[in-house]
Amino acid sequence: MREFFAMGGYAAYVWPAYAVTLAVVVFNIVSARRSLARAREEARRRLSMRGEGS
Amino acid sequence: MATARPLNWTWFHRLGSPPYIYELAARLAPWFGWPAALAIVGGLWGGLVLAPPDYQQGDGFRIIYVHAPSAWMSLMVYTTMAVAAATGLIWRMKIAHAVAASCAPIGASFTLAALVTGALWGQPMWGTYWEWDPRLTSELILFFLYLGYLGLRAGFDDTQRADRASGLLAVVGVVNVPIIHYSVTWWNSLHQAPSVMRLAKPTMPPSMLVPLLLMLLGFTLFFVAILLVRLRAEVLNRERSASWVREVLGP
Amino acid sequence: MNMRGPALGELAGAAVAAEVSSGGRGAPALEAAQLTLRRDLTLAFRKRSQLVQPLAFFVMVTLLFPLAISPELSRLREVAPGVLWVAALLASLLALEFLFRDDAHDGTLEQYALSGHSLTWLLGAKITAHWLLTGLPLAMIAPLSALSLGVPLGAVPGIVASIVVGTLALSLIGSISAALTLGIKRSGALLPLLTLPLSLPVLIFGARATELAIRGGPLLPPLELLAALAVLAVTLAPLAAATAVRISLE
Repeated sequence: MREFFAMGGYAAYVWPAYAVTLAVVVFNIVSARRSLARAREEARRRLSMRGEGS
Repeated sequence: MATARPLNWTWFHRLGSPPYIYELAARLAPWFGWPAALAIVGGLWGGLVLAPPDYQQGDGFRIIYVHAPSAWMSLMVYTTMAVAAATGLIWRMKIAHAVAASCAPIGASFTLAALVTGALWGQPMWGTYWEWDPRLTSELILFFLYLGYLGLRAGFDDTQRADRASGLLAVVGVVNVPIIHYSVTWWNSLHQAPSVMRLAKPTMPPSMLVPLLLMLLGFTLFFVAILLVRLRAEVLNRERSASWVREVLGP
Repeated sequence: MNMRGPALGELAGAAVAAEVSSGGRGAPALEAAQLTLRRDLTLAFRKRSQLVQPLAFFVMVTLLFPLAISPELSRLREVAPGVLWVAALLASLLALEFLFRDDAHDGTLEQYALSGHSLTWLLGAKITAHWLLTGLPLAMIAPLSALSLGVPLGAVPGIVASIVVGTLALSLIGSISAALTLGIKRSGALLPLLTLPLSLPVLIFGARATELAIRGGPLLPPLELLAALAVLAVTLAPLAAATAVRISLE
């Protein structure tokens, strides 16, 4: 198991590379969902404003 | 919705309908998201555990399983973005522009991943984190192309003008990408010996190649899933007064 | 329409612009383009002081490097290709401002777009004028800077040739990004950000041609590549710029 994490001595390069990629993947998921939530909020707000105005 | 020419295909017509897209994207996303997760987990297992160490690079070569998909994404997403932008410009379809806008943040983030993982791969292999090799240099320039697209888009308040201006930029950019890559390769070949690090894809045994293909597939599916989520947001942002929005939002 | 510069020059420019616009379908695109070319050259001559600015900037930038690196000519000669071309690139970026700014402000650009003429041809004429006014002078002045960097006299023709061709390509490429940012108020660093990635091939081939000119090597290959870029730009850029102008004017 320890050998696995040691990655033949390259651990200092391999694991950060995977970590960065994972971070980008997570960023994409979080950011996309947040943009959708924000768009829904915006649309809701616009609709309610128009409702009050009419 | 006025179109430049009559479109005879019903499915193409329906693709132009925002409520249809909004709903379709919601239904399709899990069908790309979960297979993506599966493919990526499978690729990670195959690449990190099952594949034997490389003859020259030992376990260090395993970075390829995150670097190559990231690099692939950076180019594939840009091309998709440009094709969508061209479609939007030629046929004046808002949806196409929405697709292009959704692509940009995805592509830019994976270009960054490609640069970082490439540098991390370079240090143990070449002895320096950055070596101005043609592929990484081209990736860096691609990153600036993405930034330019996002920057141009941000400069317009009006969504329609932002779409069309950045769309043209994307088309001009995609034409330039091969030119830039050629010139950078040409430049690099003048000044140093061919790079020591060859990805050696043709001589990859299946135990190494299959996980790589799985990762490429997984990331592509992931791109579509994320694109669908962002597309829904973009569609909502472009539909200011449509009645279908009220129905679809609910409590 | 705003009055700018001497009133006579303004009227002459407006008259030509009106003639171009109202020429109608009868006047072929080439004639309208020629009129536009002459108009731009005439108007620019009246503001000669403006034309000097990119040139002064170029010389200024090339002056920075000896001060920053070393007065030794042998060292400067090594970096001269890069210095000359980076300075040329930056100077042409600066000069890009003059391409559309005045015409966008006083509505001439809109007139061109609304006239029956091919906007592509009209912009082609404007870009040609721009290159004649900024790129060619740059190529004329570059030998001075080159010599100050220790470049041998025999290298000068090659350097001038590469800058002549290169600045043409840069004017063409830059016209696209300049047109795209017309509609943006505070574009700041956006214009360089858009233009520089697209200009990199020109930089690479031009600098290599300059380097070979200095070393006395075969500079024809990179020069030919540079010319190929220019030809490609001539065919594609005016159309892209015209599309961008229309988008910006919407």
